[in-house]
Amino acid sequence: MRFQSVTDKRGAACGWVLAISVVFWGLSASCVGEPAETLTGEQRVSHVLDRLALGASLGGVEGVDEAGWEAWVRGQLEPGGIENGACDAYVQEHFPSLMMTMDQVWAAYDPPYENDPPTREEIDRRDRLRYELSQELVGSVIYRAVFSERRFEEVMAEFWRNHFNVDHNKDEVRFLAAHYEQTVIRRHQFGKFSDMLLASARHPAMLIYLDNDVSQKPLTDREKRMLVRYEGRKYQPRSVSALGRQRGLNENYARELMELHTLGVANENRKGGYSQRDVTELARLLTGWTAGRPRGETVGYGFRFRKEVHDDNRKRVLGMSFDGRAGEAGGVRFIHALGEHEQTARFISLKLCRYLVNDDPPGELVDEVAEVFEQTGGDLTKVYEAILFSDAFMDPVNYRAKFRTPFEFVVASLRVTGAKVTGFGGTREALRKMGQPVYGCVDPTGYDDAAEAWLDPGVLVYRWDFALRLTRGAVPGVRVPGAFWGGLPKGDPAGLKRALAEGLLAEGVGGEGWDGLDRALGEKPEAKRAAGLMLGSPMFQEQ
Amino acid sequence: MGTTRRQFMKRTGTLALGAAGLGALGTRAVFGAGDGGTVGKPTLVVLYLRGGSDPLNALIPYGERTYYNMRPTIAVPGPGEGNKRNQVIALNDYFGFHPSMAGLARLYKKGLMAPIVNAGSTHPTRSHFDAQDFMERAAPGVKSVTEGWLNRFLYMTKGGDDSDLRAVSFQPVLPRSLRGQYPALAVPDENTQKAAGAFAGLYGCDDAKATAKAQASSGQDKPGVGGDESGRATGRGRIIDAGAQGIVRLGRLNEVLSSEKLVSGGDYPKTQLGGQFRDIAKLIKAGAGLEVAAIDYNGWDHHAMQGASYGVFSEMMGNVSDTIEAFVEDLGPMIDRTVVLTMSEFGRTARENGNSGSDHGHGGYMLAVGGPINGGRFYGKWTGLSSRSLYEGRDLPVHTDFRDVFAEILSGLYGFQADEHQFFPEYDANDKPIGLVKV
Repeated sequence: MRFQSVTDKRGAACGWVLAISVVFWGLSASCVGEPAETLTGEQRVSHVLDRLALGASLGGVEGVDEAGWEAWVRGQLEPGGIENGACDAYVQEHFPSLMMTMDQVWAAYDPPYENDPPTREEIDRRDRLRYELSQELVGSVIYRAVFSERRFEEVMAEFWRNHFNVDHNKDEVRFLAAHYEQTVIRRHQFGKFSDMLLASARHPAMLIYLDNDVSQKPLTDREKRMLVRYEGRKYQPRSVSALGRQRGLNENYARELMELHTLGVANENRKGGYSQRDVTELARLLTGWTAGRPRGETVGYGFRFRKEVHDDNRKRVLGMSFDGRAGEAGGVRFIHALGEHEQTARFISLKLCRYLVNDDPPGELVDEVAEVFEQTGGDLTKVYEAILFSDAFMDPVNYRAKFRTPFEFVVASLRVTGAKVTGFGGTREALRKMGQPVYGCVDPTGYDDAAEAWLDPGVLVYRWDFALRLTRGAVPGVRVPGAFWGGLPKGDPAGLKRALAEGLLAEGVGGEGWDGLDRALGEKPEAKRAAGLMLGSPMFQEQ
Repeated sequence: MGTTRRQFMKRTGTLALGAAGLGALGTRAVFGAGDGGTVGKPTLVVLYLRGGSDPLNALIPYGERTYYNMRPTIAVPGPGEGNKRNQVIALNDYFGFHPSMAGLARLYKKGLMAPIVNAGSTHPTRSHFDAQDFMERAAPGVKSVTEGWLNRFLYMTKGGDDSDLRAVSFQPVLPRSLRGQYPALAVPDENTQKAAGAFAGLYGCDDAKATAKAQASSGQDKPGVGGDESGRATGRGRIIDAGAQGIVRLGRLNEVLSSEKLVSGGDYPKTQLGGQFRDIAKLIKAGAGLEVAAIDYNGWDHHAMQGASYGVFSEMMGNVSDTIEAFVEDLGPMIDRTVVLTMSEFGRTARENGNSGSDHGHGGYMLAVGGPINGGRFYGKWTGLSSRSLYEGRDLPVHTDFRDVFAEILSGLYGFQADEHQFFPEYDANDKPIGLVKV
């Protein structure tokens, strides 16, 4: 009983651990065995692979044990130094939209109709292109998560695309999301947090997803009176009808920028908190930040500051003042400050520790990491380093303490079986059913990052279904290769079980829960079914 | 809209719609109990309209001129203006329903449906995240309670002979209101039955000893409890438990839904929502012990182009209305033991924004449907749309705390007295009966 015994042993060894290990149940159970104060070498390797590599891959531990896990992690913290040619070549060949500018995507995947009205063929072609584009985006995410050599880069990309969530099903975001993935998430995730924040704030995908694109300076009282005066009249001066078309403020982005992206929810004692007034003032400060769209052949897709809809009045947000001349630079100045705010340091550190260490990370760890964040001005590589080389990361209480999200489960399954992937429809659909479609979270919150959210009785069924279909070769576009099945012993049920368990499960034969699994496999297990059962077993849902 | 009426409204200013205090709610007998067992337990169906559904275009104060002034592009024409299909369905001389709500209006007229105006959470947050979370846990501003309100109710009233299908959500992931210690079922789609069968042994389901062992080894003393006190923990036992619960319940669910004896009687729209309500009706009609069902309907955050009589809001509202009407028809007499309750995390700004939409607001609305509901009238306190009566000068106020509605439904339907169980953290509800549920 790994969870329990580890915790109990720690508890027996040093009482203070009890205070921080509240996430574990069964603390009151009797203590047995010797104190296990540290993880074994094998456990360390397995922990690093699960948490920092999205699972072990078939037949190898990618140098984690050879070099020592610390050296491996240091290498992964500088992904640019890791040779990744095969993966890059595949991405370029199969997901061309990932390498394009937004204008190129638009031209290639939304070609203008030549006939007016368009023919059935033209319409079908456009629909097909749209589907392909969406498939490239989702496929690229899954492909890189499974096959990139830069393992930790993929782990963090998953974190940040969830943190700065955009739903590619909204409006034009489908044409912009690939560029967003490349230039906001991947470009900045080992740099400064405030740079990523600013990049997200200025990207058309975010501007459209959270409506800042349509937020404009509110009407003045005088303008409102004008509108009321002419209301219902047949003839209005042109200036008044122009006012009538003018859009007003839209607070959606301003609010989420503070609540979800940086400061966190305003807390009761108002420390680092913000008010409704701050939200409104920030929305005014960001008026004019819009998504530029192609017009003619000169101006392409990108950020565009539209002075004519920017609110030039004085604003005051979180104690910072902006006069009428601040313009676009005012917003940049504010976002930069927001990205380095004390409360932001704390909120981002908490989320990262929750992701990398434990759903309920120790407060001391979060404090330490937040301090590094503040001292380095939000240098994300330094922040990751602080977490990964903390005592807490390798603390036995955090070993296999997290329930895999559907994404983590699917990717780990494909990796550990060495699956050949030629299409992404099957995995994409499986993730949708498990409740975690890629780039498909409607809410700006992103997916819930605590295990609780994924532990519903019904949803496990989809994992089992996926596990059995994967090993049986019934997930479209995915095949578990001969290399996986080839080496298995024949006519030796016990040997087969042992070989499969050692390949697929972190603890191999004899780990916690093995007896139950052994029974479920039966006397004469068939290899594909046995492998499927292992992937769907409780052990494989942990990391 | 007659000018006279508008002037009248203007003079009176405040309009108290709910005749509160129709007698205190007693601890009356539970519906269905001691009933000869011909029908099952009462059922509560919670429909969550995620995103902040716009109250003013659902329950429309067409008698108020200000409504039209505040919403130049998204107001719905009053009765007598425009054609029948795009005008407000007047239910009294001041309020009416959105034209897409014809089905609900018919239920209203039959006394089976009641809207509540200015209802919601008194907490000032305008964040989806917080507001949904607070409402689903029925604990605004209190973060220490981690379990959903429906789950807490189920857990507090659990019995040894609870049906495997006592609490079901017809969607892959449970809404937060149903998350917690009590094992509610999130329903995956068909075709997964085989997988569930294959894993029965591994998750301790076809071997009593294995189940007991799994539970013992995970430190559990009973199925369904695998977390720490905060209910947030993960752990091997919790995973096994979730799997086992799923297998048993899905087997039973499948049995019921595939029964040929059950014929669906309602004209459900061919939408996901329609299908979900059809399945709920099947469980109710089969007497499968369903007490709580919860469904999420996403996408009500209409910041732009929400439409007036037509458009995205209209389509979604029409889907809700048509679905519920079909559901009522399908249930027949069983509607006497069934309540559908809709809610949303907050209302929206009274004024439209610059994009023919509306922004996050405060006071919202709720709709209650079913035999146990004192229908055919509006509930809640209406205080008009003048800047002074609006919350922070921009949103509808909250005059009916959503917890009061929850409390009354739990009391009226199940005889569960929330306050006696300190059900709402830092809040007592029952001293303000609304009169929504028949006594």
